[in-house]
Amino acid sequence: MVLILCEEADVAAAWAAGRLRQRGLTTDIVTGADLAVAGRLEHRIGRSGATFELELTGGRRLCSQTVKGLLNRLTFVPAACLCRIGGPDRDYAIQEIYALYLSWLHSLPGPLLNPPAPQGLCGNWRHPSSWIALAVQAGLPAMPYRQSSKDDPAPLWQGLAAPAPATVFVVGERIVAHPAVPRGFDEACRKLARAAGVKLLGIDFAPGGDGRWRFISASVMPDLMRGGEQVADALAQAFLG
Amino acid sequence: MILLCGIPSESPLAMVGRALDALGADYRVLNQRKVAALDIAWQIDGAGVEGTLRLEQETFRLADIEAVYFRLMDDRILPELEGEPEGSPGRRHARGFHDALFHWLEIAPGRIVNRAEPQGSNGSKPYQAQLILQYGLRVPETLITNDPHTVLAFQREHGTLIYKSMSGVRSIVHALGQDDLARLDLIRWCPVQFQALVPGIDMRVHVVDREVHATEIISDVLDYRYARRAGGSSELRAAELPADTADKCVALARGLGLPFAGIDLKITPDGEVFCFEVNPCPAFSFYEANTGQPIAASLARYLAGA
Repeated sequence: MVLILCEEADVAAAWAAGRLRQRGLTTDIVTGADLAVAGRLEHRIGRSGATFELELTGGRRLCSQTVKGLLNRLTFVPAACLCRIGGPDRDYAIQEIYALYLSWLHSLPGPLLNPPAPQGLCGNWRHPSSWIALAVQAGLPAMPYRQSSKDDPAPLWQGLAAPAPATVFVVGERIVAHPAVPRGFDEACRKLARAAGVKLLGIDFAPGGDGRWRFISASVMPDLMRGGEQVADALAQAFLG
Repeated sequence: MILLCGIPSESPLAMVGRALDALGADYRVLNQRKVAALDIAWQIDGAGVEGTLRLEQETFRLADIEAVYFRLMDDRILPELEGEPEGSPGRRHARGFHDALFHWLEIAPGRIVNRAEPQGSNGSKPYQAQLILQYGLRVPETLITNDPHTVLAFQREHGTLIYKSMSGVRSIVHALGQDDLARLDLIRWCPVQFQALVPGIDMRVHVVDREVHATEIISDVLDYRYARRAGGSSELRAAELPADTADKCVALARGLGLPFAGIDLKITPDGEVFCFEVNPCPAFSFYEANTGQPIAASLARYLAGA
């Protein structure tokens, strides 16, 4: 079973679940709301490795033995869980729950798209400067980036105001290209995903003033629907191995 | 040039400064408390990362900084900003400076001790435990649960248990006692991490690149870091690790991307080695002051590329 973890309103996750089922995979969507009202939890680490077990409502059960892959669309502790944490220890409890999620997600077997990182549950949610530096190292031409003491840090984290002109998807070793982006970028895109420690990456490009395409940003939780059936094929292949 | 960042009087930073003096190394101190007189500007383009750093009267090319040791405190609580209202020019400058410095440190070439990204594993002890296992070190048998019956079964299986936080917050070790068992039902509200108590000698291992300094801690309390608070005492002394354990510690620190790490081990009476955690920002001064082990000198040599 491929586990799909997502927030309730994640239409891309629902789309991916449907497409994977069409391709013969068994999927189980577990939302943040499901996790917020889950019952007994048991996570063990020791000499024999790590295991995880969680009882969901309606008799559903998640456990290490049944999960054969993960499409991970959680960036942080789900919103429905956060709503249920209150009191003077709220901040501490959130840190504890995040630490737990990071560990149990890491313990799951099978292809993890994407594995959790301390800086983001579905992969490191990097600062724009970090993505650009990685992209340059991977060999992609990138929009210049500048930062100084004079800048307000908060807006630097904000996403793009509109979808990027073109997105290239890396899914495992497969590239789902965009017709406008040069295919000569393919290997550098794979390198970027490897350097980022992820198997699923949406890489955004835009043309510069000279008309040449350049890297502008990347996402460990891309809008899968933008990649269409080719992304669905690549996901299915990644989970089937 | 080497850059030391933080509060110059803070013990680890001061000790590394003295060790760099002894080496005759070229270094500067970025004093956070003088943030009003600090500036940084940098850019990434096709040629990599370039920019400048102003430390009061001196300005440097970032490309000339070959190594950095940083122990930055939260700039929002710098004494110099006390009384400054939210959004004041002084606070805006301090935030902007520290953010730009922090993100440059993440991508700067050279020897950075330690970048923030690899420090993250210490924010989840059970996650880090799974990474530790990959390097051939044992970790204590661990259970995280919200079910009291599962805890009691785990206790029957392993005997004395301890509990501690999963995150890096409030990370103090407690033995699970009768008082705790009486309130065990509370874990239904938030899962808790329990571990089988591992008997033996505590060992702190500071790894600096390939150099290893092991310190044995003899204490009469469960968590020696808080011995005084618990009404107990601790005695520290320099120790030797078996070569294969030292090699595993070096591989672990390197694998986690940490040129400098403080690894907490326990050696059981029958010689088994358990690893509890890897501290990515170790306050080594406590250990050096108590044992005379030359940890700062190792760090200075690493920073100097010696």
